[in-house]
Amino acid sequence: MSKETGLAVLVFWPFLAGLLVWAAGNFCHGGRKAKGREAGQEKGQNHLRDGFAVGASAAELAMAAVMALWLPVFSGAAGGDGAALYLDIPEICGMGLHFTLDGFRAVYGCVAAFMWMMAAVFSREYLMGHHNQNRFYLFLLWTLGATLGVFLSADLYTTFVFFELMSFTSYVWVVQEESKAALKAADTYLAVAVTGGLVMLMGIFLLYHQLGTLEIRELSEAAAGCTDRTVLYAAGGCMLFGFGAKAGAFPLHVWLPKAHPVAPAPASALLSGMLTKTGIYGILILSSRLFFQEEAWGKLLLLIGVATMLGGALLAVFSVDLKRTLACSSMSQIGFILVGVGMLSLPAAGNTATSIHTMLAARGTVLHMVNHSLIKLVLFLSAGIVFMNAHSLNLNDIRGFGRKKPLLAGSFLAGALAIGGIPFFGGYVSKTLLHESIAVYGGDTAMKVVEALFLFSGGLTVGYMAKLFVALFIEKNEDSRRQEAYDGMKRYMNRGTAFALLGSGLLLLGWGAFPHAVMERTAGAMQGFLGLTENGEAVSYFSLENMRGAMISIGIGALVYLFFIRRFLLRRTEKGGAEYVNAWPRWLDLEELIYRPLLLKVLPTALGILCRLLDSLADCTVVLLRKTVYRDSKLPRERPEGNLFTEALGTFLNAVQSAGNHTWRRGKPVHRDYVHLAAVKSEEIRETNHIIQRSLSFGLLLVCIGIALTLFYIIWW
Amino acid sequence: MREVMMLIVVLLPFFTGILVPLLPFRSRRSMWIYLETAVCVNSVLVLWLLYHMPEDRLTIFRFTGNLSVTLRLDGPGTVFAAIVALLWPLAMLYALEYMKQEDNEKSFYTFYVITYGIVLGVALAENILTMYFFFEMLSLVTLPLVMHERTREAVRASRMYLFYMLGGAAFAFIGMTFVLAYGSTSSFVAGGVFDPALTADKRENLLLIYMLCFCGFSVKTAMWPFSAWLPRASVAPTPVTALLHAVAVVNTGAFAAMRVTFYSFGTELLRGTWVQWTVMALVIITIVYGCSRALKETHFKRRLAWSTVSNLSYILFGVALMTPLGLAGALTHMVCHSFMKLCSFFCAGAVIHKTGRNYIHELDGFGWKMSKVFLMFTISAFALMGVPGLCGFVSKWYLVKAALDSGGTLAYAGVGALLVSALLTAIYMLSIVVRAFFPGKEFDYSKVKDVEDPNWMMLLLMGTAVLFMIFLGLHSGPLTEVLEQIVEEL
Repeated sequence: MSKETGLAVLVFWPFLAGLLVWAAGNFCHGGRKAKGREAGQEKGQNHLRDGFAVGASAAELAMAAVMALWLPVFSGAAGGDGAALYLDIPEICGMGLHFTLDGFRAVYGCVAAFMWMMAAVFSREYLMGHHNQNRFYLFLLWTLGATLGVFLSADLYTTFVFFELMSFTSYVWVVQEESKAALKAADTYLAVAVTGGLVMLMGIFLLYHQLGTLEIRELSEAAAGCTDRTVLYAAGGCMLFGFGAKAGAFPLHVWLPKAHPVAPAPASALLSGMLTKTGIYGILILSSRLFFQEEAWGKLLLLIGVATMLGGALLAVFSVDLKRTLACSSMSQIGFILVGVGMLSLPAAGNTATSIHTMLAARGTVLHMVNHSLIKLVLFLSAGIVFMNAHSLNLNDIRGFGRKKPLLAGSFLAGALAIGGIPFFGGYVSKTLLHESIAVYGGDTAMKVVEALFLFSGGLTVGYMAKLFVALFIEKNEDSRRQEAYDGMKRYMNRGTAFALLGSGLLLLGWGAFPHAVMERTAGAMQGFLGLTENGEAVSYFSLENMRGAMISIGIGALVYLFFIRRFLLRRTEKGGAEYVNAWPRWLDLEELIYRPLLLKVLPTALGILCRLLDSLADCTVVLLRKTVYRDSKLPRERPEGNLFTEALGTFLNAVQSAGNHTWRRGKPVHRDYVHLAAVKSEEIRETNHIIQRSLSFGLLLVCIGIALTLFYIIWW
Repeated sequence: MREVMMLIVVLLPFFTGILVPLLPFRSRRSMWIYLETAVCVNSVLVLWLLYHMPEDRLTIFRFTGNLSVTLRLDGPGTVFAAIVALLWPLAMLYALEYMKQEDNEKSFYTFYVITYGIVLGVALAENILTMYFFFEMLSLVTLPLVMHERTREAVRASRMYLFYMLGGAAFAFIGMTFVLAYGSTSSFVAGGVFDPALTADKRENLLLIYMLCFCGFSVKTAMWPFSAWLPRASVAPTPVTALLHAVAVVNTGAFAAMRVTFYSFGTELLRGTWVQWTVMALVIITIVYGCSRALKETHFKRRLAWSTVSNLSYILFGVALMTPLGLAGALTHMVCHSFMKLCSFFCAGAVIHKTGRNYIHELDGFGWKMSKVFLMFTISAFALMGVPGLCGFVSKWYLVKAALDSGGTLAYAGVGALLVSALLTAIYMLSIVVRAFFPGKEFDYSKVKDVEDPNWMMLLLMGTAVLFMIFLGLHSGPLTEVLEQIVEEL
């Protein structure tokens, strides 16, 4: 088996494993036969299936790691990007599937497999007693395969194929609980995913038609030779729409704060930590291959990035739902990453050929991606544990849950510090790199505003994470009985869950603790994907100068927490306690305010009216003809008596009579049927004529007249 | 011998059908065996013909001059004949099971089988007169099938059907007379039969006539504004709506449109003229319009019928591009759409057959009970949307490629329309799938207690269609090679 075949195995193994897991769940009941099992309603634990799911993702991780080590960037052998593995499966799906593996892809393959493994471990306890577990595991693994397919794709066609697949398989995660909220969120998710996918397809069509290739490694060259920039930008815009929708970029983020909270916690971790990154992956391809160092593109991305970053952070500050806060936080972090991508695309100011800001932005972006994946794994797992025990996500209900639970508190804190960008934790390094990139670039006032907003959003991040941590782990619950119940929960997670939580938490700590040894190397291996090869100068992360940005953010965060969150979002209750309120105006929701009314009310009504009109066009013509030119000729009406004249006369007289009855003869109306009378009269006249015509005297009379006429003739002529 | 075989495949179903009411069948079973055998034999003969292509034409009857009824097998004809021959035996099997519950089985089978021969006649027609002859026959033979239920609604629908069909044929007739009068021959010749030197002064007239002729033939394809009959005709039993009104009859219209465009009038005359833009605009409107109506429709079969309206216009869009690539795309979609729509219609039929439910809101929770049917429905829904890996994507890909290659504002608009339509298709198909599989947490499963999958006779066709969809989606090479060969001569 050649090394290249490994790529196919990496992508297709989860699909196979998914089927096996499903079969195991359906046909082996672990000794215990569940009785009266309705289709899709199984709730029992099935150790074989659960273990197999974990094993399958662990095997995937091992394979991904081994294959990563084959690569020169990790094994230390000589060779650049060209030595990447490349696999071509021709003819399949029309254009053939193409996979490749380089530093970036290898890292993301490993991170994905790792996250899936932890999610699978956690699912065992989390899903206990839930319905449709088989379905969940099946689609869990299928989505892993699809995600790997996206990350390993070597051409945009393959990317698209697996991207679509991933959208559909992950739909099942969102809808898994089948509650009302889940069904609605899933609808939104599907709508955004399908729309995004199709617009992206349009972009791919345009791009293929314009450049004649979809191979990612050939795109740079083809784009450079492309003269028609408008079409290129149209194609890029369409694809940005598709990828941005998946990444949760403003204004297509609407699905994100809804879908993450309703999905089961392991799935939320993956949705937020990994699936959004597939969108970023696409945007990275666009930015580094098609629009490298193009100012317009860079500014567009900066704009989107800042809006997403700030919008997500604001939503998160206001939210009182644990998972929703985390989801909004994801959106915000995606914004940070997008800002990084935007910086990456900005051309060097002045005459400097290779600009420092590009290097910084590239490293900051890829590192923040990895950081965010790992952080969100820990945070969502913690949220899952809270929900599993407290059965609520509302901050007021779960307040104080984490007291006296050091393991949970420690893990959550590790995640919170990392995402808040506190020095010595992972997020600090990547945020500093991104900040440095903006600072180094300098530029005009607009860039100063971007920098300020960057730091402000970082501050908000600190603020909302502080809010969550204080509420969960420091404050006591308003309801003292509930607090007692929470304090009494000693065994709030089983060993598997503890392993998942601690494993992810420790990895996060280890990853962040050694910025030079681990993170910079990883970034160096990953940046080849962005077309950058040389290593930038080492950044001394812990110099005072570089810490300044983080300190400003932390300061803002402290201010926000103390003077905004505690004052305005924590309302005094009648009992003297305080509860968290969501002060975000309810109507200010892009989906409810614009998208749903527009798509479900305005457009269907307008189209409906148009449709009705169009539809009746042909039929109306037929009906019109039938009623006019091709009207049935009238049936001959049999008159009961009389003839046309008597009827007309009678009708007229009847009308006169009726008019008279209503006016001058109102006192004593007359009711006489003149039609009948006229008919009778006419009949009488006819009879009389008949008699006369047949009589002898009539004959004689005619003879006399004849004689008289003859006489006159003879006399005068 | 091979030439005579062409006549045999047209006449065999005809006589099989005629004999159904006459033969004294001892049981329903023996009638089933008789029908299924006859249809299978005919299909085998057709496939044999496709492998041993007859080189010559077969003139059955000659009126005068170049007016003759003649059969010949050539490029597009083989594709159409192959689709029909592959699907009819399976659809017949489905019909036998489906019609068990209905009245007047025999008259239904009679016409159902005769239609097979006539559709083959259209596929094998060598000249425009022959095609027109079979085209008219088809309208008349399928009328009793639409009327089959004998309800008030059915009678009204069939009357409407007749109006539309005859009206369309009248327009087509005008086109035919002009081809006969001014063309160098009445036969179908790749590239057209009009000699540009001789007909230069009649160019504008010919364009107008082409327009009428195209619209006339497209009435059968339910092109807007002649689309209303198709959803109304879905009162007919499902085997009719599925095989005739999603595949055989409606494809006849598309096939005829291809013939007159590429083989009678010729694209050289038409390309770049106002006629092309008008036709294309009509087609694009139909694509979006059909989808929008499908979205609003709550009746299961009617929703699929509207979807058919939209999808057939994909085929016409390929035709209206008037390039060889466009024709290849149109033929690809003709093949793919046949499988997809047949499968989804038969799923709807299975639901009606087993439970008598007609409306989409009644399908909650069906996915778990009729799991096989709805699994196949889901796959066909994804295929219709154009999810990569299934055949719908392949045909859309070719159509879009052809459109982009041909250029022009309207062609780009057409690409946009295809994508909008894909989005709407996703909504109207997936809303059914979601209902069936995710009825909600509080759903009372006892409501669907008695729902179950139908027997193998019904499932066989759907399964085969699904296999085809996946196979064509994953490995479309052989099909597109054949089609590219066909359009090479243009």
